[in-house]
Amino acid sequence: MSFLVTVAWRNLWRHRRRSLITATAMAVGVALCMASIAFQDGMFDLMFQVMVEQQLGHAQVHHPDYPGKRVLQDTLPDADALVARVEATPGTVVAAPHVQGFALLGTETRSTGALLVGLDPARELKVFPAGERVKVGRFLGPDAAGELVLGFKLAEELHVGEGDQLVAVTQASDGSLGNALYTVVGLAKTGSAQLDRSGAWMHLDDLQSLLVLDDQVHSLTVISQDVSTIDTYVAGLRATLGSDTVEVLPWSEASPQAAQLIGMRNFSAGIVLGIVFGAAGFGILNTMMMSVFERTRELGVLKALGMRPLQLVGLVLVESVFLAGLSATIGLVLGGLLDTYLVTYGLDFSASLKDGFSFAGIVMEPVVKGSFRLGSVVAIVAALFVVSVLASLYPALRAARLEPVASIRSE
Amino acid sequence: MMYALLASLAGAAEPTMEELLLATDDAARGDQSMAVISMQVKTDRYERTMKMQAWSKGTEKSLMRILEPEKDAGVTTLKVEDNLWNYLPKVDRTMKVPSGMMSGSWMGSHFSNDDLVRDSRLSEDFTCAFTGRPADSGGNYVITCTPKPDAAVVWGKVAATVRPDKVPVQVEFWDEANVLVRTMAYGNVKDVGGGRMMPLEMTLTPHDKPGEYTKMVFETLDLTVQLDDGMFSLQSLQQR
Repeated sequence: MSFLVTVAWRNLWRHRRRSLITATAMAVGVALCMASIAFQDGMFDLMFQVMVEQQLGHAQVHHPDYPGKRVLQDTLPDADALVARVEATPGTVVAAPHVQGFALLGTETRSTGALLVGLDPARELKVFPAGERVKVGRFLGPDAAGELVLGFKLAEELHVGEGDQLVAVTQASDGSLGNALYTVVGLAKTGSAQLDRSGAWMHLDDLQSLLVLDDQVHSLTVISQDVSTIDTYVAGLRATLGSDTVEVLPWSEASPQAAQLIGMRNFSAGIVLGIVFGAAGFGILNTMMMSVFERTRELGVLKALGMRPLQLVGLVLVESVFLAGLSATIGLVLGGLLDTYLVTYGLDFSASLKDGFSFAGIVMEPVVKGSFRLGSVVAIVAALFVVSVLASLYPALRAARLEPVASIRSE
Repeated sequence: MMYALLASLAGAAEPTMEELLLATDDAARGDQSMAVISMQVKTDRYERTMKMQAWSKGTEKSLMRILEPEKDAGVTTLKVEDNLWNYLPKVDRTMKVPSGMMSGSWMGSHFSNDDLVRDSRLSEDFTCAFTGRPADSGGNYVITCTPKPDAAVVWGKVAATVRPDKVPVQVEFWDEANVLVRTMAYGNVKDVGGGRMMPLEMTLTPHDKPGEYTKMVFETLDLTVQLDDGMFSLQSLQQR
């Protein structure tokens, strides 16, 4: 075995330049893959953050009929007690209660339909920080004081800003005409085009009183300690709360759309890996074929001396694994540098896209930062080795099938 | 001609279709009117009773002020032509109902804001034909109407059942896909003055929501009032 390794190592350096060129090409492939996947991961992290953590949470708790029909009266009763029970469940970070209702929102001269969201500011800030959401002014204060945060596009449409007053008119849950006056304290840029255009946030108590929903909420947005074990967590929560009137869903079921979009992460990483290593595979195939062909005679002698076909296969494979190892080492250094840049500075698209860009209803910031995931790097390196071995199988089999006498006579 | 002759020979003046349609269009309404109406709304989700005072002048102007319940008291709806405003005393603001909200419910009832504004009239916006005579329709006339091509009407077909003495019994509304959407039934027919018989109770039943209805009962109806145009203005909304 150690003999094979020694021979393979020496073979690799017999054609120093060829080996280095191949290794460098593959290393650049590794580095570009790392950068491109880090960038993609950054995009997907952002999407996950906007679509899942900021809107759905890791899990949703609601009345079973609420998600489909969004009927105002399909609520969870005894909201305070329910929040306490969810937060007492192990693995919970926060359970943020929400009430939602459509209303006419406006001044005497301008008005439009808006989606009012009532929330508990203290808990909401644990879901994600206010600074991420409020661009002008401030977030809602801790107590119900008739304060309103508006989506910035909605504010533009209504021609209002910080400090202005707005009336909300809506049909309350008892059929009465709910109406109240609110003061705009901040403007939000949420990342969701729809919410920026029609969303308005207020204190839970304020909206409950407008809609006549005392101590009732429509949903709890639950953040768990570890989203990767969400199914176990949800099962636990169901065991605690589960009933005909309380439904618990992990984010992927609460929004199959989001799950589908986020699920594209692996698919699109797969495409990058496929393209880069498909090309790299041919490079390795070429190098190893050359190496086998030019050593026909030498390999024939080895075989005549009694080396078994399987050992020859091993020789070629070990050689290609060395080449892959060399590529991986150079590639990781290069890719590490690229990743560091992407994670620290990101790519800035602000020159061409001043207001960010929108993908599937998610507004991205014009600067996209990469995200470093060990798993992605491991996948890239693994792909490199797998492709190297696969691409050298054919040359290795050629070597194993050499006819000793004919090989020695060749040239 | 022959028919009219026979009718007159029988001694009872046969009502014309025009008369029957006008009686339906103007059920519980005169050229000018003032009424106190109680409205009962029953839905799957809630049940509520309201009392309101309503004034109208012609078909283009009306004003409705909620008297009860306490929570909604003073909320006033002004309709002038195709526009609708709500005055909200709690916040002391008048809000115009934007076009996007016109299909929404008015005061939690089965009437939409559009129903208040879009006063389509059988006698003007529809092409009608008798589809039932007293002899074969339980003593009533049935008139089936389809909207004229250029009329701004949401219905595909409307059928009015009217008594021979020109009092509406019910009006049924079909949508454009020919599905019966709702029925307005009239009841409690009384002499409102000068021998004029009018229904003082109307029940709107939406057929897509079984068990739900909105019932309006006219507690008083004065068709002799003289109302000033200035009453139907934004200024008077705020003053009330």
